[in-house]
Amino acid sequence: MAIIAELKNVTKLYGTKMALGSVNLQVDEGEILALLGPNGSGKTTLLKILAFLEKPTLGEVYFSNRKVTDQNMMQMRMKSTMVFQKTVLFDTTVYDNVAYGLKVRKTPKKEIVERVGRALELVGLEGFNKRHAKKLSGGEQQRVALARAIALKTKLLLLDEPTANLDPKNAALVEEIIATVNRELKTTIVMATHNMFQAKNLPNRIALMNYGRISETGTPKEIFGKLSKNLVSFASLENTFVGKAKITENGTTLIDIGNNVEVAATSKCQGKVSVFISPEDIILSRTHFVSSARNVFKGKIVEISNFGSVVRLKVDVGKPFTVQITKRSFNEMKLNLNSEVYITFKASSVQIL
Amino acid sequence: MQLWEKLIIVAILATIVVVAGTIVYLNYFAKRRLFISTTTSLYDTGLLDMIEKDYESTHNVDLQIVAAGTGIAIQHAKNGDADVILVHSLSMEKTFLEEGYGVNRKIIAYNFFTIIGPENDPAGILGKNATEALKSIVAYGDRLPDQSGATKIWISRGDNSGTHSKEQSLWKEAGYNYTLISQKPWYASTGSGMGDTLNVADQKSAYTLSDMGTYLKFYKDRIISLKALISEDTSLLNVYSAIAVKPDVPANKSIHEQINFKDAMDFIQYLVSPETQQLITNYGKDVYGQRLFFGAVETLKNNEQPEANWIKAYAFINGYECPPQYRSNYDELYTGDTGNG
Amino acid sequence: MSFTLVILAMVDILEGIIKALQLIVSGDPTLYGILYRSLLFSGSAAVLATLWGTPIAMLLSLKDFRGKTIIKGFFNTLIGIPTVVLGLVLFLIFSKSGPLGFLGLLYTPAAIILGEAVLVTPILISIMTSAIEAVDPEIVNLAKTLGASESQTAIAVLKEALNGVLLSNIASFNRAIAELGVALLVGGNIAGSTDILTTAISRYTARGDLDLAVALGILLMIIIFGINMIVIATRKLRWLSILGKSPQ
Repeated sequence: MAIIAELKNVTKLYGTKMALGSVNLQVDEGEILALLGPNGSGKTTLLKILAFLEKPTLGEVYFSNRKVTDQNMMQMRMKSTMVFQKTVLFDTTVYDNVAYGLKVRKTPKKEIVERVGRALELVGLEGFNKRHAKKLSGGEQQRVALARAIALKTKLLLLDEPTANLDPKNAALVEEIIATVNRELKTTIVMATHNMFQAKNLPNRIALMNYGRISETGTPKEIFGKLSKNLVSFASLENTFVGKAKITENGTTLIDIGNNVEVAATSKCQGKVSVFISPEDIILSRTHFVSSARNVFKGKIVEISNFGSVVRLKVDVGKPFTVQITKRSFNEMKLNLNSEVYITFKASSVQIL
Repeated sequence: MQLWEKLIIVAILATIVVVAGTIVYLNYFAKRRLFISTTTSLYDTGLLDMIEKDYESTHNVDLQIVAAGTGIAIQHAKNGDADVILVHSLSMEKTFLEEGYGVNRKIIAYNFFTIIGPENDPAGILGKNATEALKSIVAYGDRLPDQSGATKIWISRGDNSGTHSKEQSLWKEAGYNYTLISQKPWYASTGSGMGDTLNVADQKSAYTLSDMGTYLKFYKDRIISLKALISEDTSLLNVYSAIAVKPDVPANKSIHEQINFKDAMDFIQYLVSPETQQLITNYGKDVYGQRLFFGAVETLKNNEQPEANWIKAYAFINGYECPPQYRSNYDELYTGDTGNG
Repeated sequence: MSFTLVILAMVDILEGIIKALQLIVSGDPTLYGILYRSLLFSGSAAVLATLWGTPIAMLLSLKDFRGKTIIKGFFNTLIGIPTVVLGLVLFLIFSKSGPLGFLGLLYTPAAIILGEAVLVTPILISIMTSAIEAVDPEIVNLAKTLGASESQTAIAVLKEALNGVLLSNIASFNRAIAELGVALLVGGNIAGSTDILTTAISRYTARGDLDLAVALGILLMIIIFGINMIVIATRKLRWLSILGKSPQ
C-alpha cells in the first residue's frame, strides 16, 4: 500500500516543553489510523504537523513522497485538512462555513453548491444551508465542521477527538460518518482519541502515544492482544483499569482493581486483566438505588469538565471513573466538586481487553 | 505581501489623493481666493456678509473671511495666512507696518465705541464722559459689599483685539494703571469676541465697552437689554482700516499660491469706492434705527468737521493716513494724503 | 413674579425652537450647505481614519513585537486629546509659516478632513484592536487548514470581528461630526466653504443669531441620534436573524 504521509524523527518543542520526541510514523493511503493516548501525549501536535499547521523543530515530514518545506507548506495544506477538538465555526451560515475552503480554492459557484450539498448530506444535515452555524446544537456544530472538511475532498483528513464532547447518539453518528468517508471517498483518516472502545472498532491501525512518543503501532487486535506489554500506558486512559480476576462460586467474575474496588463482570477470565467501562454505560445518582446492575460504588466528584451539552465528571470511588451526564441532569442534581455520588453499571458493561 | 502592508499603502495613497486633489482643485478649478482676516466686532454685525455678497457678484474672486480678534488677524497676516487685514487698532497697525508686513493702509470706516451697562445704572455713569464714567465705575466697584470676586461689574474682551486695546487706552487716559485695574475682583475678562462678551455682560448686568455696530444689532434683536450710556465722547472714536499684506515676506510661500496682492488691492479699492462707502454708511439704518458705521473716505477727502479732525488726531500715523514708505504703487489712493493731517 | 419670568423664558425658548424648525423645513440653503459639509467632512475623515487605522489595528492585535504594549498605550492615551490642543498643533503645522505650509492647506476642507481623521484614528484603532483580539485565535488555524493564504486568513479574522469593526467606524464618525476645536482652528469657519455644524453654531451664537444656532443644533442632534438608532437597529436585526429559525 502506498504511503501517503511520513514523519521521520520528528521532534517538536514549544519553548522548553517537548510535545513530540523523535517520532517516526508512516500513514498508509486509504487507512484509518487512530492515535490512542491520554491527554497531553502529543496527539494534537502530531495531527497539526500532519495538517502542516506546525513545523517540526527537528526531523522531516513527507507527503506523497515529497518533503515538506517552508516554500511548499501552503500548497501542502490544500491536500490535508484538520477538524479541531473544540469546534470552531465562522460567525455565519452553515453554507458559508462549509463552502469556505472551496471558495478559497476558487472553485466555481455551481460546483460549490453541489459539493456543499453532498457534504451536508453525508453528515445528516441536509437543508441546514441557511441556518446560522453558531445557533446549532453541539452535535450539529461538530458535524458542520466535519462537513466543512469533507467537502474539500483532501487526500488526508485529520480529526482531533471527534466524539469527545458529544452525547452517545451524536458520537455514534460521527463514527459512522468517519467510516463512510473513508469507505466511499477513500480519504485517509488519522484520528486522535482517548476512547478505548472507539479505538477498538473504528480504525485499521492504532498508534499508542504517551509523553510525546509512539510506543507501539499495530492493528487493534495486535494492540489489545499484547496487553501485558502496554499495561502501564493503558492504565492512564480513562475508565481503564488493571486488576486481578477470579471466578466466584456463582459463576460471576470479580476483578480487584485496587483500593478495595471490586468490579463484577459477565465475561469469564482469570488472573491479570485489563478492563474498560465506557462512560456512557455508567449511571450517576445522588442516592443509592436498587437495580439489577451489579456494580454500585460510592464516591466523590473530583473533577468537572464542561462540554456544552454534556458534562464529564471524574468520580473517585477508590479508583477514578469518568462519567458523562447531560448539562440538565447536572443542574438538576445540583452537583459540584466533592459532592457525594453513587455510580452504577452493569456487569455486562465491563469490557475485558 | 501581507494584507496589512497592502492596507498601509492604500492608506497612504488615499491621503495623497486628498491632499493632491485639494491642491489641484484650488489651483485649476476653483476661483481665485482672497483671504481676509478681520475682527469679530466687524464680522458679528453682518456688514462683511453684505460686502462679501456684493463683491463676489461683480468680481471673480472667492472671499474667504476669517474672523478672530485684531491681534490674531495680524498674526495670521504675519504667518502668511491672510492677504489683507481689516482691523481697528492704531498701535497694532503701526507696528504691523513698521515691521514690514503690510502696505497700503486705507481708513475705511468709523463709528464710536460705547460704554454700555444695566438700565438702572448703579454706578451712575449716564451723561458723563469716558474718563468720568470709568472713575465712577471704579468707585462703584470698590464700594461693593462683595469683594470676593463673585460679583463682576466690568467685563473686558481681554483678547488682544482692537476693542480691547481701546479699552486699555481709555483706562490709561482716565489715569489708571491697567494691570492693577484688571486685577480688581470686580473686573472680568472673557478672552472672546464681541458677541460673547456682550452676552456675558448682559447675564451679569455689568458694564462693558462695545463697538456701536455689534451693540445695536444685539440690542435690536433683543439678545441683550443693556443700555448705551456713553457714546458722545470723542475718546470713543473707533476707526477701521484695511491693510494689504506685503507679498514678498518669506512666510508667504505655498506651492500653489502666493500672497494674493492684486486681489487684495482690488478689494481695498472697492472698499474705498463711493458706491461701497455708501453701502457701508447705509448699512442697518432701516433695521436698527440708526447707522452702525460711517464711511470714512468722503469725510477725509472733504475734510468734514469735526469728524475729519477726530480721525486724523486719533488714527493717523505721523500725520499720514499711510506714510509714503509703506505705500506700494497705487498712488491714486493717496492723493490727499500729504502728511499734514 | 419669578414664576412669570420662567414662563416667559420658556415661551422664548419655544419660539426659538419653532423658528428653528421652520428654518429646517424651509430647506434654507445656508443651513443645508452647512449640514452637507459636516456630513461630507466627517464622513471622509472616518474613511481616512479607517484606512490609516485598520492596518495598525491588525498589527497590534495579530502580531507580537517588542514595544507592543507601549504603542497600544500610546494610542489609548491619544483618544483623550483635547481637540483644541490638536487643532492648535495642526494649525501650526498647516499655517504657511509651518512645516507643511507649502501645501497651502490651511482653511481648506482638506485641513478639516485630515485634522478630524487624525483626531478619530486613535478611537478607531482602539476599538478595532479589541474587536479583533476578541476573535477566537483558533480561527487563524481554521482558515489555514481550510487552505487560506496569509491575506485570506487576515480577512477571515476581520470578518469575524465585523461587529466591532463597524462599531469602530461609527464611533469615529460620531466623534468627528461632534467636534469643534480642530475644525475651527484649521478650517477657519469660513462661511460657505469651511463652516460645519459645530463651528457654525458657535459663530451664530456669538453673533446672536440664535434661531440659526438652535436649528443647526437640532440638526446635529438628529444626526447623532439617527446614527445610533441605525446601529442599534442593525444589531437587533442580526440578533433576530440568529434567534429565529430562518426559512431554508
